[in-house]
Amino acid sequence: MNLSIKIGNAKFDNPVTVASGTFGHAEKYFNLGEVKKLGAITPKTVTYRPQEGNPPVRIVETPSGMLNAIGIENPGIDAFIETKLPAFQKTGVPLIISILGYSPKEFADMAKKLNGQKNVKAIELNLSCPNLKQKSLVAQDAQATAEVVRAVKKQTKIPVLAKLAPNVTDIVAIARAAERAGADGISMINTFQAMVIDTKTRKSKLGNFTGGLSGPAIRPVGVKMVYDVAQKVKIPIVAMGGIATANDALEYLIAGATMVAVGTYNFVDPQAPVAVLEGIKKYMRAQKINDIRKLIGSVNK
Amino acid sequence: MTKDQRPTIYMDKIQGKYKVVSNSKLCDRFWRLEFSAPSIEKHTKPGQFVHIRVNDGLEPFFRRPFSVYRAKKNTEVFYEVVGPGTQIMSEYKKGDVIDVIGPVGSAFKMPRKTTKQIVMIAGGIGIAPFLPLTDVLRKKRKDLEMILLYGGRTKGHVYPMKEFKENGVKAHVATDDGSVGIKGRVSKLFNKINCDPKTTQLYTCGPHPMMHAVQDFAKKHNLKGEAACEEVMACALGACLGCAIQTTEGYKTVCYEGPVFDLAQIIF
Repeated sequence: MNLSIKIGNAKFDNPVTVASGTFGHAEKYFNLGEVKKLGAITPKTVTYRPQEGNPPVRIVETPSGMLNAIGIENPGIDAFIETKLPAFQKTGVPLIISILGYSPKEFADMAKKLNGQKNVKAIELNLSCPNLKQKSLVAQDAQATAEVVRAVKKQTKIPVLAKLAPNVTDIVAIARAAERAGADGISMINTFQAMVIDTKTRKSKLGNFTGGLSGPAIRPVGVKMVYDVAQKVKIPIVAMGGIATANDALEYLIAGATMVAVGTYNFVDPQAPVAVLEGIKKYMRAQKINDIRKLIGSVNK
Repeated sequence: MTKDQRPTIYMDKIQGKYKVVSNSKLCDRFWRLEFSAPSIEKHTKPGQFVHIRVNDGLEPFFRRPFSVYRAKKNTEVFYEVVGPGTQIMSEYKKGDVIDVIGPVGSAFKMPRKTTKQIVMIAGGIGIAPFLPLTDVLRKKRKDLEMILLYGGRTKGHVYPMKEFKENGVKAHVATDDGSVGIKGRVSKLFNKINCDPKTTQLYTCGPHPMMHAVQDFAKKHNLKGEAACEEVMACALGACLGCAIQTTEGYKTVCYEGPVFDLAQIIF
């Protein structure tokens, strides 16, 4: 049975990874021998400079999901490479490094620092960052998205994934702009902007006032968006958004995703990514599908 | 950002499915859940907690963290029914199987040899981590004086002190309505103790305003102490960074760097 897939020139033994921000930064899960079975590990987003994150409260439980406003707490790219990356590299599992910059130059400079780093197989651009010209997110503007992708592609040969936000009128237009700018793949979807109000105090339940909604609650929206984008772009899609089980992951694969990431559900069951992988294999055996590529985008109409 | 000094978590050993042994109401709102988890019983240190998946579905979505109340023959947690998660737990029957991560988090530091007296200041459900602490100290430190200052809203919120008394703990109680012990906040009990910076060690667990009062008291009398904190939590493994609290050293995760922190370090 062939489970291997490619993004740009990077090969992954299987299509299952974890969504950035849900698998930590440190070595915490690494001794789960089973982590080594994953197609890739995607650590939490790194920024150019260290960020201390948002004030508490940072998370709220919602129906079948959660809101978060962590604020990308991270040590910055230099400290990440020095203190965190070696442990990730030691696992031997291919790495997808998620980066967020506050300008195309910051993105490009971070990508440059990742050149030549062992096991870094792809760079994921977290485009849910401020677009200073438009007072919106980069991922909400086709031109700004293309600008970041181009700036990064100039600095690195590592395959580049553009991670898109779902709070847009037409996600296909943004995906196509990323593709035209040279992205090797699309990661989708990031969280939905959302809020929860405490009716007793009439205050937001989050320290940051608003946050991002994730978890199984958003999955059907994600599947539709992946389906739409898969119809219009040729580059592979790494899908995330509420995947908890193998069946959820299969929906995304059938809709057109090449790779799938377990995200928020890691917090409920940290062994879920491996269970998802095993479930995909079981499905393929039962359906007599010998190559994952035959499954990708195989939705019947 | 401080360097991780905590040991690596072995996920495949730390998550398990365990059988409920008993689940009973102790008083008004407080329940005690007992389940058989040999690895938790073997490894848990006082102050550490377990993260329970209350059911198999997606509602409620998060696991629920509980301080380990006893880890002897079986693992016990002490909980108050406050929402949908704990409501589901209160319906557990003997033989039910639950998915538990643990033990996780930091533990209380044992008192130094020069410490002659420990004072535990607890509010409501915050009593939970102190029974295992006294279980250990009762055997290890026969010379130690153990005092508990305990506050609750009303009679039904005050956990019966029997097990603490069996461990040789002197307990003083305060309730908001005076239905047990003295009337008022637990801080009213501070005058029950004679503290000495050289020989007294404080431990506290409870609502933030109460622990803040303990912090002020400790500062005023130059006392050392530790506080066990609680926060809304998703992963309990230091991955999501959702349960961060403010400390004098920046944000720290309650689940991984805590729940037990140096009392002076927390910014309430």
